[in-house]
Amino acid sequence: MKSRLVLLASLLVIAVPAHAADEAGAMKLLEDSKCTKCHSVDKKKDGPSFKETAAKYKGKADAEAKLTKHLTVPSKVKIDGVEEDHGAVKTRDEAKIKNLVQWILSR
Amino acid sequence: MQIGWLARFWATLRKPYVKYSLLTVGSFFFVAGVVFWGGFNTGLEATNTMSFCTGCHEMRDNVYQEYKKTIHYSNRTGVRASCSDCHVPKDWTHKMVRKIQASKEVWGKITGVIDTPEKFEAHRYTMATREWARMLATDSIECRNCHTLEAMSSTLQTEKAQRRHAKAKAENLTCIECHFGIAHKEPVGPDGPTELKAKLLSKK
Repeated sequence: MKSRLVLLASLLVIAVPAHAADEAGAMKLLEDSKCTKCHSVDKKKDGPSFKETAAKYKGKADAEAKLTKHLTVPSKVKIDGVEEDHGAVKTRDEAKIKNLVQWILSR
Repeated sequence: MQIGWLARFWATLRKPYVKYSLLTVGSFFFVAGVVFWGGFNTGLEATNTMSFCTGCHEMRDNVYQEYKKTIHYSNRTGVRASCSDCHVPKDWTHKMVRKIQASKEVWGKITGVIDTPEKFEAHRYTMATREWARMLATDSIECRNCHTLEAMSSTLQTEKAQRRHAKAKAENLTCIECHFGIAHKEPVGPDGPTELKAKLLSKK
């Protein structure tokens, strides 16, 4: 019985990090930064969906670093063959950015 | 017995009316018609108000709260698009079609399809795709209650927006294909308007 409880407890501890990303916080930052104008979670818009992004970075060690850079440093992206400015998230709170990056990568 | 009563009633209906003049009878029905039509339209208009839509908790606690944070609710010019401005066409024929479809929503209310937040979330994707499909089919008729490509001043739009709208014109895109999930939470699900359109076209 006791060993079962220990097993259950350890399973819970392992299970928690997988859902660690705070979805409401991530969505709020996405909306405040107007990301959702071009990106959807799973549907086609001008920018790739977060599902596509997650698939692209899947299994890559530098995924978090690369995506963090893309989300925080303004850059240029090509849409319909025309170069456009890609903005940055409207926060300097590193915890919020980290949460968003992890949330996107876990789609 | 029953038949006899009906037959008498029918006979009365068929009999020419002799007590009042044609003018009196005509005037009576003219006024009655005006009162009926006015009442019907007033009733119909009442179902188009925001207070009517948010009279039920299904709308008030879910979609209404989301919409209250968006530009269609509050903006610098103070023009508000209420529920019916985006969900009911303005012209009479299309409005009647939509109102008849909406009677199914009354059935949904009675049977409680979305009467808890959990049920609403579970049903959100179905409801959203229904709205998207409808707007794809009607060339976003409700958006065009207020917005038209022709009336857009290109100089007042950003370069990005100008390029997008030029593309919309060239490729015959309709509003909802890009502007979805703008007043309510975007549901999780495989198809957005672009995917839906591709499916509808492949079926034809």
